[in-house]
Amino acid sequence: MSQINRRQFIQAFAAVSAAPALSFPSIARAGAKAKVVVIGGGYAGATAAKYLKLLDGRIDVTLIEPNALYVSCPLSNEVMVGHRDIGTLTVGYDGLKKRGVNVLHDYVTRVDRARKVVMTKGGKTLPYDALVMAPGVDFHYVGIEGYNESMINDIPHAWKAGAQTLLLKKQLEAMPDGGVFVITVPKGPFRCPPGPYERASLVANYFQHHGKKKSKVIILDANDSHSKKGLFNQAWAKMYGWEKEGLGTNGMIEWVKGAEGGAINKLDAKTKTVSSDFVDVKADVLNIIPPHKAGKIAVAAGLTGETGNNFEQGWCKVVPMTMASAVDPNIYTIGDSCVAGEMSTYGNPNAAFDMPKSAHIAMTQAKVAAAAIVAKVNGLPTPQPYYANTCYSVVGDEYGISVAHLYRVENGTFKYIPAGSGISPVTMPDKSPVPAIYRKLEAEYADGWLRNVMADAFI
Amino acid sequence: MKKAVMYALTAASLCAAHPALAVDNVQGLAMTCNNCHGTGGVSVGLSMPSIAGLSESYLKNIMTEWKTGARASANMTRLIKGYTDDEIAALAQYYSKLPWKPAAQSVSADILAKGKEVTERCETCHGATGGQPDDADTPMLAGQWAKYMELELLKYRDEGFQMTHKKMTRNARKMEEGDVATAAKFHGAHSK
Repeated sequence: MSQINRRQFIQAFAAVSAAPALSFPSIARAGAKAKVVVIGGGYAGATAAKYLKLLDGRIDVTLIEPNALYVSCPLSNEVMVGHRDIGTLTVGYDGLKKRGVNVLHDYVTRVDRARKVVMTKGGKTLPYDALVMAPGVDFHYVGIEGYNESMINDIPHAWKAGAQTLLLKKQLEAMPDGGVFVITVPKGPFRCPPGPYERASLVANYFQHHGKKKSKVIILDANDSHSKKGLFNQAWAKMYGWEKEGLGTNGMIEWVKGAEGGAINKLDAKTKTVSSDFVDVKADVLNIIPPHKAGKIAVAAGLTGETGNNFEQGWCKVVPMTMASAVDPNIYTIGDSCVAGEMSTYGNPNAAFDMPKSAHIAMTQAKVAAAAIVAKVNGLPTPQPYYANTCYSVVGDEYGISVAHLYRVENGTFKYIPAGSGISPVTMPDKSPVPAIYRKLEAEYADGWLRNVMADAFI
Repeated sequence: MKKAVMYALTAASLCAAHPALAVDNVQGLAMTCNNCHGTGGVSVGLSMPSIAGLSESYLKNIMTEWKTGARASANMTRLIKGYTDDEIAALAQYYSKLPWKPAAQSVSADILAKGKEVTERCETCHGATGGQPDDADTPMLAGQWAKYMELELLKYRDEGFQMTHKKMTRNARKMEEGDVATAAKFHGAHSK
């Protein structure tokens, strides 16, 4: 319904390019309708479909997504501990349909890049001029002896929101006081870098409010550091008795880094005991977050790196100006399945670090891809891309924290902008404690942010 | 439809009329703001302000104050430091040209009556129902999200939170604690 008139969008581009506004010969072939297929209806794919229609309503956009409803992963930890109803995180595709997107609930089985067609389980063959690949992540059920996909209904990961979230919630509710909730974190990159630590915080908060004060949360982390670490440690010390890293400390939350036994490699499913080379930990409720890789269809389409370092392996590499695949100029790889940039300044001691796998960055990637596709279809110069990320974690009552990231593209490469990035203040500039209002505001903003990203992507 | 057309028109006319702003793609830049502030700057998140249709001067001032560190924010101070002055100016101009879309918020007659009483001190600058700001630096309140305005008032009332507008700080601190939410709801319910 509400769409940006194509000609006006073209004028917006033309006005900023060196060429006079109406000198583009492609405008003359305005009758031709480009076909764009979007694979995946999460934050990335939905945003791409919506903004394609918004920027050029004449483009024929088809979104292919197996599920009729999407459940937001952001803030799903609040559902797990009873702070939020899952309905507030659930959205359908009617909003996109109203904008003229063809929504096909089907499963893509093959991308034929030579013929530029996608094929579906339902037997459809859809040609495309441009393809947006946004399948999200898949789980890599390897590396933990004794663990496999068939166990997830007993040992839920809850790393894709929905039934798994509710299952983990039930297990948490049934856990006796004094029980141990164990969450295992895979080696990065994984979706939602602060997610495991937010989950640990909210579980501890839940214990405090639901007669389980003697219970513990143990985080067994394959990594040696983590997102927003200073902020999490501060919050845990303030609310959950955190003193220091390691097992056997007195806090309600214990964090064990990879180098000290956090990297698990074995599971005894009967006793819910996970083991690393250093420790065995028995859980009452066990939450294994499996290692990640790019969605199956991205791998099958040959868009993921096969060589190079481990960081790039298994993920889609992109062209920074457009989010086009580094291996196929007709395919745009966005969201959690891609690896964009090398954010070494982030301070992750493990390795080079890409843009975080967050809903927010997935959406800005989608908007860059949509604008690039519209420009290309209309024979216009590639617009300057902008990338930004915000990620809120609610970690206690009236207690929220966040991280922001800003990126630019200079000389065709991603540039991380430290001046526009950073975590919520840990202390004030004069080293005094941060007033409580900062944390309260961010807890409130988390909810406002969620409602806006859901609407900006799906409605 | 009308909103979206305005959205695009603004981008076009803005760039054509102000090449000196030197921002290659203000529409692309603004699209990243939409994540938190809503498509086209119209927020559906209660704690997040709509920014479409606020005055250019207000938008530019507040972003500049965050950038220089004169004014605190729980989070915008971080992102905005990565933007150039030209980008801030272009964004302010871009969103100011989009239409103000009041958020529909119904409240009880009690809140309206009580709200009228407790917002008297707001009138000189913001207008009788927060809908007639007396100058370009004063933001529109009528139809802004009540939750967002309540949080803003808390910032003005908190001594640990650095805000720049002295008169606003003084007046916010004169309010009774119980009247803060009422005042915010009163203004929010007036869709101007």
